[in-house]
Amino acid sequence: MEAAVYFFINGIILYTLHKKHWKYIFFDNIISYYIFFFCLKKGGFLLQSTRIFSGGFGSGKSEIALNFALQKKSEGSGEVILADLDLVNPYFASREVKGALNSRGIRVLCPAEELSFGDVPNIPPEIIGILKQDNDMIIDLAGDEIGAIVLGYIHEYLIERQGFEFFLVINPYRPFAGDIESIKELKKCLERASGLKFTAIISNPNLVEETTADIIKKGHEKVVRYADKLNLPIRYLTVEERFYPELAAFYPDIIKGLNLNLRPQWL
Amino acid sequence: MEKVLMKGNEALAEGALRAGCKAYFGYPITPSSEIAEYMARKLPDSDGVFLQAESEIAAINMVYGAASTGARVMTASSGPGISLKQEGISYIAEAELPCLIINISRGGPGLGGIQPAQSDYFQATRGGGHGDYHVMVLAPASVQEMMDFAIEGFELADKYRIPVMIMAEGTLGQMMEPIILREPVTKFYDKPWATTGCKGRKPNVITTLHLPPEELEQRNKHLKNKYDEIKSKEKRAEAFMVEDAELVLVAFGLMSRVAKKAVIEARKNGIKAGLIRPITLWPFPDQHIIEAAETAKIFVSLEINMGQMVEDIKLALNGRAKADFYGRIGVIPNPEEITKVVFGIAEREGL
Repeated sequence: MEAAVYFFINGIILYTLHKKHWKYIFFDNIISYYIFFFCLKKGGFLLQSTRIFSGGFGSGKSEIALNFALQKKSEGSGEVILADLDLVNPYFASREVKGALNSRGIRVLCPAEELSFGDVPNIPPEIIGILKQDNDMIIDLAGDEIGAIVLGYIHEYLIERQGFEFFLVINPYRPFAGDIESIKELKKCLERASGLKFTAIISNPNLVEETTADIIKKGHEKVVRYADKLNLPIRYLTVEERFYPELAAFYPDIIKGLNLNLRPQWL
Repeated sequence: MEKVLMKGNEALAEGALRAGCKAYFGYPITPSSEIAEYMARKLPDSDGVFLQAESEIAAINMVYGAASTGARVMTASSGPGISLKQEGISYIAEAELPCLIINISRGGPGLGGIQPAQSDYFQATRGGGHGDYHVMVLAPASVQEMMDFAIEGFELADKYRIPVMIMAEGTLGQMMEPIILREPVTKFYDKPWATTGCKGRKPNVITTLHLPPEELEQRNKHLKNKYDEIKSKEKRAEAFMVEDAELVLVAFGLMSRVAKKAVIEARKNGIKAGLIRPITLWPFPDQHIIEAAETAKIFVSLEINMGQMVEDIKLALNGRAKADFYGRIGVIPNPEEITKVVFGIAEREGL
């Protein structure tokens, strides 16, 4: 697709500028196409993106990863992969909505068949091949360092990829996320287990159904203090869609609305 | 008061710590493992003991030993692990030792799966192991109750010298809700029977062996009297819109929350529906059922199993009204599904 668009536009430019014969335009096009996309790829954008969501148990990784996948798909025509690598247990994991994601064109990587309801460490084997291809890869890990260990296995393929982001998701209202010491310990454990360094924080302050704008603001202030101590930028502040209009003006650069897909409606 | 967002398992573990739990012995199993993980992180800081035993059988026998000293102790597991513990629970019940046993239940029989279920109802309410005994069984329906019942469970265990079981579906252990952290318990029961060192007094002996037949019968009569006392004082249930209900749903745990939504939906459509949510599964709150039977023509037991509590409902009704059953395994049905069931039964019964 990119090639066709490139050939077409470049062809017109070459023709209008140089009025060359179509044969030259054709060869020019092919050579410049390869140079152009080689540069793009080395430059680290357009063809690949890799986003990994890690954090404590219940920090909101799965919902956030799911929302990112849906958003990425709606933005462009590239292949979007959501890798549900929660090997700890299958409660409230993205594989629950695999069918719905597939029908929207998102490929879901998760333990195969009957193992998807199990708690055995099963890494989808096709992930390595997929990591070598051009696509938008979104990786959802299980909580804590136990969940991050899985990255050790795919580490060498991950560092080869472009557009790499490794997010530490923090909900300060969760146990073991209420003070900077716990967060420092968590970050250390996760980085050691994964063999990767975090590139940014996602602030996800909420009390699910009982969240208010005030609770978000207060919680976010706490995450800002953590970020300062950890020397990491806050890339996003994720809030449920219902709070977006009210809070967008306060955090215009980082706010991101979320739809909750994994939480049962009747709770 | 600021709330904390907790998983059911975490809330239960935190509740136990606030109740003064000093020792945890267990062997991990999904979907209960977060309880052990939480205890492993927190107990050493509070002068407590966390020990991952080599098996569930070892763990429950460690509970037996530690409970003998009068300390507040607990263990947690799920279906297959709870089965392994039954021998130890029988001993603990006979020795009248207070302790807390948690079943974050999953579907069986055998290894089954790790999805939510309530299919250990019979096992929990009938004793589970050998001999004439009962454990008290509490069924929380929210993450807040996971914390509250852990505290209450220890109180009841000490009060009646009985093992108390908290039984919650896997989903309740795994899901998160905002909760209020309870104040730590500071008043504890005297335990003159505990083996705390016999300097200056006669030794306390904890044994479950009673060879002379009179002694054995005496022990069993003693236990029976205690169980009768618990039955007369501790049956608990929550009733919702049952005053004029013709169709009464009976559901415990998370299922009761789904049932409540279905009752509201049924009422909107002119069906006089109500809900009884047993909070104590043993003793079973039969009085609530009997009272509701004054207006109700049919009771529908909603369970995440193939029909167990429905037998207790029938025993309570003793022919006063009809009892029906609807159940699933491995999934918690949503309110729409239950509402459909209610509509179907109401139509069939002409309500």
